[in-house]
Amino acid sequence: MPAPDVPTPRARRGLDLLNFFLADAQTGFGPFVAVYLTARHWTQVEIGFALSLGTITAMVSQIPAGALVDAIRGKRAVVASGITAIGLAALLLGIWPILLPVIVAQVLHGFASCVLTPAIAAVSLGLVGHAALGERLGRNARFAAVGNGLAAGVMGLLGSYVSARSVFILTAALCVPALMMLPFIDTHHAPPTRRAPETYPDTQRSELIALLTDRRLLVFAACAALFHLSNAAMLPIAAGELTQIASSRASLIIAACIVVPQAVVALASPWVGRTAERIGRRPLLLLGWASLPVRAVLLAFLPTPWMVVALQALSGISGAVFGVMMPLIADDVTRGMHRFNLCIGIFGLAAAAGATFSTTLAGWLADARGDRWAFLGLAAAGLAGTLLVAFAMPETRTTTDTQT
Amino acid sequence: MSRIRLIVPLLLLTAAAPDAPPASTPTPTTTTTTTTPKLPPTVALQPVAPEEAMAILGHRVVGPDGKDLARLVDVLVDANGNPVAAVLDFGGFMGVGNRKIAVHWTTLSFDPAATTHRITLTLTLDEIKAAPEYRDTAKPAPVVVPAATEQKPGPK
Repeated sequence: MPAPDVPTPRARRGLDLLNFFLADAQTGFGPFVAVYLTARHWTQVEIGFALSLGTITAMVSQIPAGALVDAIRGKRAVVASGITAIGLAALLLGIWPILLPVIVAQVLHGFASCVLTPAIAAVSLGLVGHAALGERLGRNARFAAVGNGLAAGVMGLLGSYVSARSVFILTAALCVPALMMLPFIDTHHAPPTRRAPETYPDTQRSELIALLTDRRLLVFAACAALFHLSNAAMLPIAAGELTQIASSRASLIIAACIVVPQAVVALASPWVGRTAERIGRRPLLLLGWASLPVRAVLLAFLPTPWMVVALQALSGISGAVFGVMMPLIADDVTRGMHRFNLCIGIFGLAAAAGATFSTTLAGWLADARGDRWAFLGLAAAGLAGTLLVAFAMPETRTTTDTQT
Repeated sequence: MSRIRLIVPLLLLTAAAPDAPPASTPTPTTTTTTTTPKLPPTVALQPVAPEEAMAILGHRVVGPDGKDLARLVDVLVDANGNPVAAVLDFGGFMGVGNRKIAVHWTTLSFDPAATTHRITLTLTLDEIKAAPEYRDTAKPAPVVVPAATEQKPGPK
């Protein structure tokens, strides 16, 4: 039985707040950058260029970033550099919104995000060990969701009533408390499951091949891609419809659409983590994936404003499941290897590719056939993902007492 | 082989020759017009006061009631460069749910003389909200036109 020493309450709270502040700091990036640059007199072509550069960076650096985090022993130092990079990117955007600094900021943020997701999971694993990882990831997701939801509200108000620039200054400022949490999270309790890095190259290569041909990894990567293919464009299209049908109240309703799922994630994530450890991964995966096509079909036929908000609660369910299960399954698949972060990087790449293609697919369908068909297309992707989970995805939970 | 070696420098010389005169001509003109900024003789400067013309890209657009409505993000012009329509980006929260709608140029009024540089849309939100989104530059743009001015070309 691995039974790592129980982490100190200080360390647990430190990791809670790290997730909270980091999620806060991540909220200002993404679509809000387009609003900000529009206000700074950027042309649509330039904005499109800057945003796609960020997307491409975030995609191509998933796997290298994962491998990098695996290779570096001091995961907390990695997290510290990642947070610093996010802060710098926010400062560059806030202070100097011209082409070159914005490009640097986008690349910096894209890469740092790819490093932070696996690094935080690795720090969590180091803190609590394999047996308690599900529960810990649930807590991470809870605090991240609270941070995201609060930040979306506060930053939305700042952006509307103060200035778009102030959003990025606040983002940079939030990186400071995030950094200050790191010293509390001691990794002395790390269970000795990691193989020493000085293993022979042959072993390393065969280990890598074993990982890359692992059926669980391949199927879950495909499931992750389909999840985001279905999910990523759903809120943007629904929100665009809301702007159309609810006009002056639209901003408020869309804000609710962003905050409601975060509230659900905050409530459901710890339960998801615990349940995954108790009864296994597959039932939760089915729940998370199946709620995608249900939401998409309902959105296609019931696009009334408050119905959309209610349906966003379903998005919280699938979001909680994905956020907890992705690193958890990466841990299942790489048990006994030194490839946890690489595996998260692979899943991250699949998810990012799915998300990027989602916007293209939905935009194309909406253009050709209207929003209803776009939702139905997204529902089809979600259904395909659900079927893949149901019929191809093996249970990855290892009963912790027998393995390792 | 030796013939080729001879020809190549000759070609380089002839190729470089037409470049030489324009490269030398700007130097005398710049020395004669040292009082004003460096400009070729083919152009001159005409100052435009801030109250005569204003920058509009990324500018806020208000509705008839003076409430913030959108931002002007692009302008569609005809073959003569006359504006036909403006693309407005409106709605959304934190960049989610924004819609771009093209409105006829005549539905906007500009006030460069005012310090607010206000751009006013003469249509209400309810009048334009049902319009299809402006997405693709390659396709016919759905431009919202007031019923009276429908079918008319751009501003006279």
